[in-house]
Amino acid sequence: MTAYLIRRLLTVVPVLAVVVTVVFLLIHLIPGDPVSVMLGPDATLAQIQATRQALGLDRPLHEQLFKFYARVVRGDLGQSYFLDRPVVTALLERAEPTLVLTFSALLVAIVIGVPSGIVAAAYQGSLWDRTLMLISLLGVCVPGFWLSLNFIYLFAVRLGWLPAAGYASILADPMAALRYMVLPAVSLGFNQSALIARISRSCMLEALQQDYIRTARAKGVSQRSVMWVHAFRNALVPVITVVGITMAILIGGAVVTEIVFNIPGLGRLIISAVLRRDYPVVQGVILVTATAYVLINLVVDVLYVFIDPRIRYG
Amino acid sequence: MSSSLSRKYVPLALAALMLIAGGPLTAEAQKKGGILKVGNLGEPPSLDAHWTTASITETLTNHIYEGLYSLDSDNRPIPMLAESHTVSKDGLVYTFKLRQGVKFHNGKEMTSEDVVPSLARWGKQSIYGKALFAQVAEWKALDKYTVEMKLKEKSAIVLISLAVPNNFGAIYPKEIVEKFAPEVKATEYVGTGPFKLAEWKPDQYIRMVRFDDYKSRNEKPNGYGGGKTAYLDEVRFQPVPEVATRVAQVETGELDFADDLNLDAYDRLKANPNLRPLVSKPYYWLVAVLNKKEGLMTNQKLRQAWQAAIDIEPIMKNVAGGRAEFYRMDSSLAMTEIVSWHTKLSGLPWNEHNRAKVQKLLQEAGYKKEPIRFMTTQEYKWMYDFALLTKQQLEDLGFNIDLQVVDWATLVKRRNNPKEYDAFTTGIGAFYDPTHAVFLTASWPGWTTDEDIQKLQAELARETDPKKRVALWEQQTRLFYDKVPVIRYGDLFGLRAIRNTTKGFNEKTERIRFYNVWVEK
Repeated sequence: MTAYLIRRLLTVVPVLAVVVTVVFLLIHLIPGDPVSVMLGPDATLAQIQATRQALGLDRPLHEQLFKFYARVVRGDLGQSYFLDRPVVTALLERAEPTLVLTFSALLVAIVIGVPSGIVAAAYQGSLWDRTLMLISLLGVCVPGFWLSLNFIYLFAVRLGWLPAAGYASILADPMAALRYMVLPAVSLGFNQSALIARISRSCMLEALQQDYIRTARAKGVSQRSVMWVHAFRNALVPVITVVGITMAILIGGAVVTEIVFNIPGLGRLIISAVLRRDYPVVQGVILVTATAYVLINLVVDVLYVFIDPRIRYG
Repeated sequence: MSSSLSRKYVPLALAALMLIAGGPLTAEAQKKGGILKVGNLGEPPSLDAHWTTASITETLTNHIYEGLYSLDSDNRPIPMLAESHTVSKDGLVYTFKLRQGVKFHNGKEMTSEDVVPSLARWGKQSIYGKALFAQVAEWKALDKYTVEMKLKEKSAIVLISLAVPNNFGAIYPKEIVEKFAPEVKATEYVGTGPFKLAEWKPDQYIRMVRFDDYKSRNEKPNGYGGGKTAYLDEVRFQPVPEVATRVAQVETGELDFADDLNLDAYDRLKANPNLRPLVSKPYYWLVAVLNKKEGLMTNQKLRQAWQAAIDIEPIMKNVAGGRAEFYRMDSSLAMTEIVSWHTKLSGLPWNEHNRAKVQKLLQEAGYKKEPIRFMTTQEYKWMYDFALLTKQQLEDLGFNIDLQVVDWATLVKRRNNPKEYDAFTTGIGAFYDPTHAVFLTASWPGWTTDEDIQKLQAELARETDPKKRVALWEQQTRLFYDKVPVIRYGDLFGLRAIRNTTKGFNEKTERIRFYNVWVEK
């Protein structure tokens, strides 16, 4: 197992190298110029050229790329053109809102998705099954921004129960953080719960048709024990995979949710960085996201061992 | 009976007396304290006023810094950090007396040793500073509170250049000027303004708190200038990129003021008894900037054909969401609000929509339906809308428009390369002197290098007689409509919303200011 982990961790390095190179090239090759955005609409060409020179953007692309590699190896992701701070600092500032949103939404998604899937499977073909699957279909189909804006209109503007948007640090004011997080977590979680519910249902149905379930029932094991001890644990592997993928996607930035609810997380950071061509920030966010993605996949793989003792890594 | 009369009329008489005495009633109404939350579109690229022309930077930095001059309610220069000035008989030497006892946010007194390096830096980086300092022979301190500007030749733009609020001549402490070269953006923000920067958390807020040692001018508030009082403990500018969220937050009271809203939110905002929608003007006149350096649009006849082809009112009406409150049909190059430079000339070839004239001009231009590359962006809906309608109108009259929709960052890069486009969309905001009209300069994208236009611009910069300057500007306006460096559409207005608890806001300025504003909660 240890050797496997070391091997997997070592494969992270080339993956990240490819990712950062591709991102560097893509962001530099698409048209657009951070300096023209920075200096404003009335800036002259001479001003633009002087600032490009000051930022080193006039240097050949390969030279900029090698400088970027050299900095990354030292753990330095450069300085944001717009934020007046190192990229690492900007990333750390945005990590908390994104992590809080990710885990809250994930919690909502699991709490809604897994029981829905199990109930639907347990009562396959019933009204419960059809209703829950219809709701989960809606969850997949309804665009996130539409749901978010309607939640804001209903719960903030009309009813006044919750704030429309914003963020409070969970460390500084947990109660305020909770109030701000309810709407984004529920709207994002509802969207994500749909997939989890559908996967849970199909995996449970598959598990429930296995011989060992029939054997358990023949032995007189209770329905609850059949569902939770025998079927659910065996259905859990694909569910964990989906939850892991969902988590990785959310860490990469629940872009729409962060923008609509004005949450200063990584998703919002990368959108504004792309629009303004803040190259160092784009590269930094992608690097962090790619790392998170690879590591979460690794964690999911390791979890399989604990859930299903038949799985072994040599 | 008599006591009842007394009860009835004495308070009225007292109130009348107070009104006549001037002020106490209003002074009582003004309330110190509170936090004002302002929702705006996004983050500033910098809080260095010398460094960028971005309008968000202009809005924010004018709360922190001040210049020697500011603009009054008619957009004419009035002193701010300057006490007064004199001009030598030959018009070549301006001597400025500075106000005494004005403090920076770091507690240091502002003197000539800060003013001279600050404006020298501004003269090297700002577009307005560069234009002024191109005319300056010598710029020095005479004593602690006196500075002198010697010009190479007579200039009409000294005071107005020192007064423009955008990319403005903010006075910084000399230590900051020495630390940050003109081409390097300053990252320490110390000014003399009524608010000082307390905290900047990108994508969350910029907190400005009252500067208790602020020394206000004694005059009444006047436009951007005059007396300024920071009643608020704090102004918190919150970037809220999603416009629907900005609307919702001002409705719920999470924001006290929301800027840059979509026009279609007007009815919803108007129906809310807790707030007022504000039509913000001036905002922009819509413009198609034509590339006069290379390509099809170097042909003056083709430019004239475009100008003759468009039917502006339906375009403006559509862009303004069908609401007459949000657009104005006007051919003057300076907007109505810029009293000194707004013109009312008749017979200009504006908004003609003249099919016969277009056909004739296209023939004279030798135009063979080659595609005209017209760049626009969807990041600003109004730009995309007017570009799309322009394409339809022009194609109906024989043009072939290749509408290229790109993001704003791409557009502002590509517009600097004359090989990449024939026309692009943007907006022209208020300019306070004809010499500051970027679309008439040879260095701005589109490159108006026409000799006649440049000659008149140079004359406008030299001539100091106000009447002669107006005549020159009228001449320039006629020349503009003949040479057609850009296509002038109508004036578009913006939408803001203010909660009823926010008082004292000046609705007449182009950009928002929160000095002299207080909250009643």
